[in-house]
Amino acid sequence: MVRALSEIRPQFARSLYMNAPFAGKDGETAFARLCEGLRPDLFRFAFWLARDREVAEDVVQESLLRAWRSRESLDASGSAKQWLLTIVRREHARLYERKRFDTVQVDELVSAESPELAVAEEREVLDMRRAIFALEDDYREPLVLQVLMGFSTQEIAGQLGLTQGAVLTRLFRARQRLLRQLGVGGPAEDAE
Amino acid sequence: MNCLEFRREAGAQPHGLSRAALAHLDTCTQCAEHLRQLLAMDAMILKALQVPVPGTALAHRTPGSARPAAAGPVADRRRWYALAASVVGGVLVGILLWSSGSRDALAQDVLAHLAHEPGAMVATQVPADTARVQAVLQKDGLRLRSAMGLVSYAQSCPFRGHVVPHLVVQTSSGPVTVLVLREEHVRRPLSFHEGQYVGTIEPAGPGSIAVIGGSPQQVREAAERVMAAVEWLPK
Repeated sequence: MVRALSEIRPQFARSLYMNAPFAGKDGETAFARLCEGLRPDLFRFAFWLARDREVAEDVVQESLLRAWRSRESLDASGSAKQWLLTIVRREHARLYERKRFDTVQVDELVSAESPELAVAEEREVLDMRRAIFALEDDYREPLVLQVLMGFSTQEIAGQLGLTQGAVLTRLFRARQRLLRQLGVGGPAEDAE
Repeated sequence: MNCLEFRREAGAQPHGLSRAALAHLDTCTQCAEHLRQLLAMDAMILKALQVPVPGTALAHRTPGSARPAAAGPVADRRRWYALAASVVGGVLVGILLWSSGSRDALAQDVLAHLAHEPGAMVATQVPADTARVQAVLQKDGLRLRSAMGLVSYAQSCPFRGHVVPHLVVQTSSGPVTVLVLREEHVRRPLSFHEGQYVGTIEPAGPGSIAVIGGSPQQVREAAERVMAAVEWLPK
């Protein structure tokens, strides 16, 4: 006989099948644990949106507070990670997008990250980080969602409000730019 | 499919090639080399994106260190609320982890990951898209050499700083979650349980696999199926 999850773990069953999966004391505990587990993802996503460590920390703090207040609206059938990333994205736009400088000094950004990286990581990683810093937002964000978050192009399209075709084009162009910046070459831009 | 079409597709999703693209690879060594470059670059992109994460908000931030752009009484109040929420969340997590005793940290992380996608581990007879399952495995340098049964969920998930395949395999007695952990090494099988979940983390390939289900038999069945079905390729 096939056992549903509800028979395996009652507290998770409540999370799965109730309309408000993170309501009540069990829900609060589960939600806190969920947020703690996802915090690295949320921070890195915010970091690559903002390209600034302190802004990323601010955005994640504000986002978790908003998420905590709205936790009962999280639909059990949806992806908690996607829901939280959407909050981070909106929070970043709301708080910081207008205040961001028009031009970003990529070398400063990389060197700001470098002290702890130079020892532990390879030179190639720093070069790649520099290249990703220099990507336009439209290309960097879908790349982060695909490579770091493991999202499919369809999921990225949903997150960004784009067609799947547009996402594919942006991902292609992002990699083209990285290949060029790293001097690897790659096919000509006419493929775009 | 010609070379241009292949490169457009591979440039957008090198880990999820269509059958037509895979067929093209058999006939074009230049495109095969280009794909190798892209896959190597993607591994480097992943490393570059994994910037260090601050341990806890309180350890790294104080209200006084707020950026000028976010300064002001409203922002400060918001920050204090955020810090308070963080403390409450931390205490709740701490209580939860403390009450769970001295289980292995890896097992705890595996169980915590289960809660990330609460809708995944359900009994169903609806299979996940085969191409997606293959793409998720391919992304981690794995290949299916035989069927592992009905896989209802496949996702590449961040886990301890790496992206790992997260599968849900339907066994005769219910769904079982499988995490393929290339970067996590265990010397011998580690069994654990929490509530009515039971699980095992076993050495496999260059790393290990974690299997979590509702009974030891269910877990054993899934573990054996997965071990027999996947082939570990060098990354």
